[in-house]
Amino acid sequence: MLTRIKGGEIVDPVNGRLGKGDLWIEDETIVEAPTGRRADRTIDAAGCVVMAGAIDIHSHIGGGNVNTARLLLPEHHAAHAPRPAETPLSNAGWSTFQTGCLYAKMGFTTVVEPAMSPGSALHTHLELADIPIIDKATLAILGNDDFLLSMIRDKASSQMIEDYVAWTVSSSRALGVKVINAGAAAAFKENVRTFSLDDVVPSYGVSSRKIVKTLQAAVTKLGIPHPLHVHCNNLGAPGAADTAAATIAAAEGVPLHLAHLQFYGYGTEGKRRFSSEGARLAELVNSTSEVTIDIGQVMFGQTVTISSDVMRQFTSRGTASPKKTVIFDGDGNGGGIVPYRYRDDFYGSVQWAIGLELFLLINDPWRVFFTTDHPNGAPFTAYPDLFALLMSRDARNAAAANLSQKALALTTLGSIDREYTFEEIAIMTRAAPAKLLGLKDRGHLGAGALADVAVYRKGKDIAQMFREAAFVIKNGEVVVEDGAIKNYRWGRALRLNPPPDKAMVRRLEAYHQDRYGLSLDWFDFPDSAIRRDEPFGEVSCNA
Amino acid sequence: MAVAWIGDRDVPVAQAAKHAAGLLVSSLSPVFSFDTDVHGTRAAIALAERVGAAYDHIGGEALARETALFTDKGGMFTAPGETRRRADVVVIAGSLPAHHHEFVAELASTAPDLGGGASRQFFLIGAETKAPYLSKVKPMRLAVAGAGIDATLAALRAQCAGRGVAKPVSNFERFAKALAEAKFPVFLFCGQSLDLPGLDMLQGLIADINRKSRASALHLPASESGWGSTLASTWMTGFPMRTGFARGMPEFDPWCFDVARMIAAGEADLHVLISAKDRIVAAKGVSLIALAKSKKPIAGAAVTISIGEPGIDHDAVAWSSRVGTLAAVKAQAATDLPDAATVLRLIAEHLPDGKALPC
Repeated sequence: MLTRIKGGEIVDPVNGRLGKGDLWIEDETIVEAPTGRRADRTIDAAGCVVMAGAIDIHSHIGGGNVNTARLLLPEHHAAHAPRPAETPLSNAGWSTFQTGCLYAKMGFTTVVEPAMSPGSALHTHLELADIPIIDKATLAILGNDDFLLSMIRDKASSQMIEDYVAWTVSSSRALGVKVINAGAAAAFKENVRTFSLDDVVPSYGVSSRKIVKTLQAAVTKLGIPHPLHVHCNNLGAPGAADTAAATIAAAEGVPLHLAHLQFYGYGTEGKRRFSSEGARLAELVNSTSEVTIDIGQVMFGQTVTISSDVMRQFTSRGTASPKKTVIFDGDGNGGGIVPYRYRDDFYGSVQWAIGLELFLLINDPWRVFFTTDHPNGAPFTAYPDLFALLMSRDARNAAAANLSQKALALTTLGSIDREYTFEEIAIMTRAAPAKLLGLKDRGHLGAGALADVAVYRKGKDIAQMFREAAFVIKNGEVVVEDGAIKNYRWGRALRLNPPPDKAMVRRLEAYHQDRYGLSLDWFDFPDSAIRRDEPFGEVSCNA
Repeated sequence: MAVAWIGDRDVPVAQAAKHAAGLLVSSLSPVFSFDTDVHGTRAAIALAERVGAAYDHIGGEALARETALFTDKGGMFTAPGETRRRADVVVIAGSLPAHHHEFVAELASTAPDLGGGASRQFFLIGAETKAPYLSKVKPMRLAVAGAGIDATLAALRAQCAGRGVAKPVSNFERFAKALAEAKFPVFLFCGQSLDLPGLDMLQGLIADINRKSRASALHLPASESGWGSTLASTWMTGFPMRTGFARGMPEFDPWCFDVARMIAAGEADLHVLISAKDRIVAAKGVSLIALAKSKKPIAGAAVTISIGEPGIDHDAVAWSSRVGTLAAVKAQAATDLPDAATVLRLIAEHLPDGKALPC
C-alpha cells in the first residue's frame, strides 16, 4: 500500500528536512516521493508536525520488579480514569496492554526496559510481548553477579569477560548492558549499607570502579552499539553529584551512558543541606563528549520507585508512601519497590528544578535523553507536560511560581531562557536514541527507514499536542488516529545476537551445575516460549 | 479418541467450543477457575474479560494469603539460588508442601559458598522434625507450648527484640546464638500453613533483624501454577487473581471474587473450570464448562473439552520455585491433545464480536 502524508511540517533533523512537505510510505517503509503513482491512502497533515516515531531509552515497563510493583499496589489503579473499550484489555489499569496504548497515543513507537535480570529474561520478555503496538528492547543487568565478580577478582582475561557478556546478552535477548550501583547489591548481602565508586565488594576485593571499567571495556570491544548504561553509586544521596562527577571522569574517552542523572544532582548547600548541583553536572557533561545521559525528571504526584539498586531501595524504605515495600535479594541484583509521592515541598521542588536544569543547560540534544525514569521520577504519562516545560519558558515560570521559592533559589532554573525547538525535540526523542541504541532503521524519516511516524496537530497547548497524536503510524499501519487507538498490533523485542563462545557455555554449564545444582538450560528458553509470531527483531553489533 | 462432548454426546472440538461460547454469552455471572500454565492463564483471563467473568485459581485460599502479603504489606525476599549459596541459617516457618521437599533436602545436603557462612543450621517453627527430606540435618524445633505457628512467630519476634513473653520459645537461646553469628539467615515460608498474621509477623521479624544485620525470606508458593498465574494476571490486568470484569473493567477484590465462595453463595450461574491435573467435579446449581484431561465427559458438565497437561502433553511456561522465576518446560511425552490456550481461543472466536483473543 502506498501512503501519502500530505502537507505536514516535517521535522527530520537526520536528513535535514525541516519544513512543509509530503512523506511517502510504501507498506512498512518510508520511500522517496514516487513519480507517476497515486497514493492508495492520503493522510491530511495540514497544520501538523510530522516526526519519526519517538524512542524512549529508559522506562521500566516490564519484568519482575515492575510486576512486583503492580502486585504491591493494587490501590494504584483506583486513580485511573475510565478507559476506552475498543481494544483487548484496554480497560486494564497499570497493565502491559495499557502501557502500549498509552505510549502509542503519545507518538512513541519503541521503548527500552533498561533493567532486565538475565535470570528472569523469559518473564521479562513475556511481559514485553503483551505490550501491544510498540517495539521494545531490554538491557541486561550485570555487575553484581558472582560469576563476573569472581572473574574480575581472579584476573580472568578480557576475552573471557567479553565471552560472558556476549553470552548474557545473547541468551537473555538483550540490546545492551546495564550496571546498577556496581558491586553494591553483592556488598549489601554481606551487610554493607553504603557503597561508593572506590569501595570494595567484600569477599571479592573488587572496587565498583573496576566493575564499571571492566564492563565498559567489554561492551566496547564486543561492538555493542549502546554504551555501557550506568546507574551510579549513591543514588539520591545529598552529595551524590561528587559520585556522578567521578563516574563521568571515569569514562576516560570511551563512550559511557549515565542513567537518570537528576537523582545524582544533589548538593549539600543551604540550611537543609540539600541543593542543586544541576549546573555543575551539566557543565561536566558538556565538556565530556564521550558521555551521554538521560534525566529521570521528577514531576509531582504519586508514583512508585522501582530499582534493582537494592541497597538504595532498602535505605529509602522509611519514605515509602503508602507504607509498604518489597526488597528482593536476587541472584545478582534483585530489586526494591518503594511507593513514593513527590510533593511540591522544598525537596520535591529542588528535584524538579534539577532535572530541568540538566535538560536546559546541556547544550547538545544528541547527548541528553528524555526520560522520567518511569515510574521513578514520574509515570511516562507525564511526558506531554514535560515537553511543555522544555518548550516554553512561560510554562516553566508559571509552574515554578507555585513551588518553594527557597528551594528554587538554590538552583539556576529561574535564569535559564532556553526553549527547546521542535528540531531539538526530534533529536532528543528520535534521532539521538536511535543512534545511541544502534537502530539504523528508525529515528528518522529518510527513504528506507521503518515507517514509524508521529503526526501531531499544532496548537498553543503543547502538552495536549503531544498527549494525543493526530496520527501514529507503526510499521506502516495507522495505529492511532485523533488520540485513539485504531489498530491493535504486536511489536517485537529488539535484540543483539552475538554468537556465544562454546568454551564459555561449557564453563557456565559446569558453574551452574556446581553452584546452583541446575543445568544452564534452566536459564534459557526457545523463542516459541513467547507464543507470538516473530517475537524478536535482530539488531547488528558494530563491526 | 473423542476429546470433546456436549453433555454426554461426543462432538468435534469446534462444535463444543461454539456451544461453550453460547453458554458464556447467555450467562449473567460467569466465573472461571483454573490450574494451568502461563499461556493457559493468559488466554483464560483474556476470555474472562471478553465475557465479564471473575477468575480465580482452583483452591486458591493459600494463594490468596500469599497474594495478600504482597498487596497489603510487602516484605524482604530472596531467591532460591541465593538461599542455596548464601543461607547459613535456614528457618522453615510452618510445614511446606511436598513439591518443595526436594529443594529443602538439597539445602540440607549442601553448604553455603558465598558470604562467609561455613555451614548451615536448620530450625523449624511448628513443622515436623523427623521428615525424610530433613534426614541429613538435625533441625531444632522452635515452639511455644500450646501455641500455633502464628503465636510462636509472635513470641519469637518478641524474644528476639528483648521483650518479655508469657511463654518462652523452646530452644530460643540456640536460635538467638545462631542468629547472632549468622551472615545470611533465610526463612522459608508458604501460605499453606501460615495465616496472614503469621506471614505479617514473619516479615516483622525479618525487618527487625535487618536493622543491624541481614536476613531474608524465601517464598515457596502453595501452588507453583497458581503463582505463575498470579504474575500473569498482574501484568495483564494490573491485579492479581480474584479479579472480576463484571463492570467492564478489572476489579480486584479477594473476597468478592473468591470463585469458590461465589459458587457456594449462588452468585455464579456458569463455571468455566480448567485443569488437566485435578479431578473436576461439577458444583450443584451451576452450569459447567470443563477443560480437563479426560477420556470421557465430566459428570454434570454442559461441555467437556479434553486438554493436555502443561509440560507433559505440550511445551509450557510455568513458575518454578526451584529457579524462582518463570521457566520454559518441554513436553515430557507430547500428545495431540490441545492446550488450554488453544481451546480458549477457539471459544472466543465463536463469541458475537468474533475477535481473536490477544493472548
